[in-house]
Amino acid sequence: MAKYRCIVCGYVYDPEVGDLNAGINPGTPFEELPDDWVCPLCGATKDQFEEEE
Amino acid sequence: MKPRKLKADIYWVGAVDWDRRLFDELIPLPDGTSYNAYLIKGSEKTALIDTVDPPMTNVLINNLTQLDVKNIDFVVANHAEQDHSGALPQILKLYPKAKVVATPKCKDLLMSLLLIPESRIMTVEDRETLSLGNKTLEFIHAPWVHWPETMLIYLREDKMLFPCDLFGSHFATSDLYVTDEATVYEAAKRYYAEIMMPFRAIIQRNLEKIKDLQIDAIAPSHGPIYDKPEFILEAYRDWVYAPPKNTVVLPYVSMHGSTKRMVDYFVAALVERGIAVKQFNLAKTDIGKLAMALVDAATIVIGSPTVLVGPHPNVVYAVYLANALRPKLRFASIIGSYGWGGKMVEQITGLLSGLKIELLKPVVIKGFPTEEDFKALDRLAGEILNKHKSSVELTKGK
Repeated sequence: MAKYRCIVCGYVYDPEVGDLNAGINPGTPFEELPDDWVCPLCGATKDQFEEEE
Repeated sequence: MKPRKLKADIYWVGAVDWDRRLFDELIPLPDGTSYNAYLIKGSEKTALIDTVDPPMTNVLINNLTQLDVKNIDFVVANHAEQDHSGALPQILKLYPKAKVVATPKCKDLLMSLLLIPESRIMTVEDRETLSLGNKTLEFIHAPWVHWPETMLIYLREDKMLFPCDLFGSHFATSDLYVTDEATVYEAAKRYYAEIMMPFRAIIQRNLEKIKDLQIDAIAPSHGPIYDKPEFILEAYRDWVYAPPKNTVVLPYVSMHGSTKRMVDYFVAALVERGIAVKQFNLAKTDIGKLAMALVDAATIVIGSPTVLVGPHPNVVYAVYLANALRPKLRFASIIGSYGWGGKMVEQITGLLSGLKIELLKPVVIKGFPTEEDFKALDRLAGEILNKHKSSVELTKGK
């Protein structure tokens, strides 16, 4: 599963870790995050993320 | 200053802040600034684009009074930051029929930052248009230049772009349009470095978004208007896309002269190798100058003495800023000195975690530099030269 980087603040979403504070369980691929999920660091929306090289 | 006519039915109605010397209690403003607001009188409706910083509300109101503006239908808030939105509450009181036009995110921020009632705000989607009769505003959502709610306006019939902070410059001037490009370039680059640089990747997207628009003039929210837009567009393309240059930025502090002696030797060693250097004494420098230098540089070398086991606090401040501004830097190193020990290197590198840089072996010495220490500095200068040379992109960017 690919990691995605927030181009606003540099936070990396790691699907292995998820985002428990937002109710996202480990193992959730980026593509399956809800549309209203936002970057836990800066609040950027999903469209501001790019796949990590 | 009085309101100024740009074109038929389009006026500048903002305020010039000649004497302001600090923004956000952080950013030096050597040339003051301006808060540009624009009035567009369509055949049916009238729109005000942005407002001014709260202390200058009366200037805006005087301008509207002088133009005998009896009714405003829309006040477009491109950006919720108070230097542009701060006069909204007064304007809404004065023009009770006016609606604020904003992105959904901007609506949220205007309600929380300025306590503007929800009923006074209408939201617009990306690429939505608003007709003023014979003039059409097209709204282009441009989040994160430099807040999450920002948008640009394209005035179709007049081919004018109102991009708010994007392309702006903190530059107080009596010129409505850019007259001296060299001066405005400096101010616009400083503005980019301090405000826009962290959002470089997003600016790339926005440049793409506006690239097919035919633009005759760009009217930003700070600084003079670009009637030759290619000047600022080309500058932004260079700052945003071009690879970093064969330059070392060297911010430093020295307390008793050891670090300064190293800096002097090291700068000479870099220059000898054909590497440009921009050196800043952090006890004295304008931090905006340092930010500007970071726009183009490939390498940062931080010079610090050791204070209370760590770097000098001024160095911490500068390194924190360099990390947060996220410039194009590729390489970093540290030079400096200590009397009896410390953790300066670990602390400085810890502060640079946001940058994708390769750390080159620091030269941190005990006491005053000796011949052996100078050799180590020569080695570091040589390594920087090799790194710069081996990067094909860098040579192209030279």
